Amino acid sequence: MQEIIIGIGVTAFAGALAAMAGAAEDTESNIGSQGDPNSQVQLAPQMGYTHRIYNKAVSGEPPAYTLWVTLACGIAWAFTMLHVNAMLAIIFGTVLATFVQGIYATTAYLGRTASLSKFGQPVFIDVLKSVTTVTMAHAFVAILTTVAACYLMSTMLQHPFALPLLGIVWGLALGAAGSATGNPYYGKERQYQNQKFGAGVPISASGNIVRYAEAGQRSSIDNGFFTAKFGGPASGLCFGLIVFLELWRTVLFEHSLDNWGAVGWGAVIVGALIIVLFMIIDRYVEIWARTNYGPYTAEA
Amino acid sequence: MSVKVEVSHDGVPHNTVMMKNGILALFFLYIAIAAASVAGDGSWSYPAIACVSGGIAAVFTLRWGNSTIKKLCSYGIGTGVPSAGMLAFGSGVIAMLFATKVNPFLVPIAGLLVALIVGLILGWISNSVLNMKIPVMTRSIAELAAVGCLTLMGLTAVATGDIGYDQITTGLTDPYASYISAGIIAVAFILGAIALQHPFNACLGPGEKQDRTDLLAIECGFLSMIVMAVISFAFVSQIAAWISFVIALIGWFVTYRQFFALSKRDAAAWLDAKPFSDAEE
Repeated sequence: MQEIIIGIGVTAFAGALAAMAGAAEDTESNIGSQGDPNSQVQLAPQMGYTHRIYNKAVSGEPPAYTLWVTLACGIAWAFTMLHVNAMLAIIFGTVLATFVQGIYATTAYLGRTASLSKFGQPVFIDVLKSVTTVTMAHAFVAILTTVAACYLMSTMLQHPFALPLLGIVWGLALGAAGSATGNPYYGKERQYQNQKFGAGVPISASGNIVRYAEAGQRSSIDNGFFTAKFGGPASGLCFGLIVFLELWRTVLFEHSLDNWGAVGWGAVIVGALIIVLFMIIDRYVEIWARTNYGPYTAEA
Repeated sequence: MSVKVEVSHDGVPHNTVMMKNGILALFFLYIAIAAASVAGDGSWSYPAIACVSGGIAAVFTLRWGNSTIKKLCSYGIGTGVPSAGMLAFGSGVIAMLFATKVNPFLVPIAGLLVALIVGLILGWISNSVLNMKIPVMTRSIAELAAVGCLTLMGLTAVATGDIGYDQITTGLTDPYASYISAGIIAVAFILGAIALQHPFNACLGPGEKQDRTDLLAIECGFLSMIVMAVISFAFVSQIAAWISFVIALIGWFVTYRQFFALSKRDAAAWLDAKPFSDAEE
């Protein structure tokens, strides 16, 4: 019984950590302009729209976050082997992973921008200084919370995977959650706020992204302000639910079918049921949205 | 059907890059193996040599892989650049683990051969079965598998000071916490995969220059070496780990500064807190 109570506590705590991680991850990637909306940032100068938006083309968010989280996990493991306190080891790992993230971000921005010289896109050193540090700060929060959740799974729940392997799994999941949930909000809303709402993005508007703020030319640093309102919390909810439900089903149902000889299958069946439940909810929401908002029609 | 996009025209041919860096990488891997084989208990000088030469081997291999990725991805594989890195290291892990079981002095050559075979099969599947029809596909995937395998060996040498199967399955501080069982090979996998794809992915565009992309590959190699050197504190003696860490840090810092200089050379303008001038204004 005590085992289950500790398990529930860890589940709740890991879910809360994951919610923070998701929110910070999406904010980080939007400030740095990573993931699929970045293609428009890359395209804009070629269409004649010079801009001051960051261009953090490291890779898609899932591989990038796999690297940061796995790195932090590996280094945290190495420091615990050297008898460093676990919390301190996680912080050391996160600091080094954030350093690597910052280096990759700057080289991506410089490389991509220098390769666009034909279209007159300048390198902005002030953007490099201000935006990189802000993405690093958000990345620190995202990595620290994810590694802490991995560490909880590894030590408190006796997960059979080694810490860096958990880092690969959850880093990938974190990047995927942020990319799938948060990016449409950034790519289709923020970049095209100057287009008619609900019009989609016509080919002629390709590359014509928002480049001016209320006063003067904007960098992508205020994407953080924008994302923190909705895209970030939505990603946090998504990743938090993923971690919470995954641990919840394992803690409660892993041994529920053991008496019937199906050891461990209880959690698998509950997992499949959760997926089916979410498919039904998704389909309902989709039909509801289609009937309420309908296809786009031009205003008469 | 694919259209070939020319990348840098002014460059060193790919075959030259491949031969030069491939041979240098093998040379440094053999130095690492030789140093590891004569290292006695408690000595730090030979493990230090093994760690550092492993890191340098990884840097040379990444330069080769970067050139291959550039050649492959000039056929309009935009979003496929990061995937190429993953594929390379996925096949590289298989080849490396297979090769570590043979005689230590055959490990790099055996790894290279197994990786080439795995890569040729994967390349044939993607080109002929999945019908991607890219002329350089089969050869490039085979090369990438070899690059993945050799880079992993290099990074493994940085972390553990050796490449042998016994060494990577037993730990120094805790016999059950080894390079494999603690999952540090996963760190090497993802570190190498991102370092392999990043240089070309970060520098692609019409103004891409071979020397700048190549320099970024070296920078990524040293950055990966820094991380593995930090992890190596759990596997090798403190002094050896410090030596490889400091050398990696110096190598990274020099190439990073140089990359800034080359970016400044190639950029249209280098502005600090100045607005852009818009043609529409």
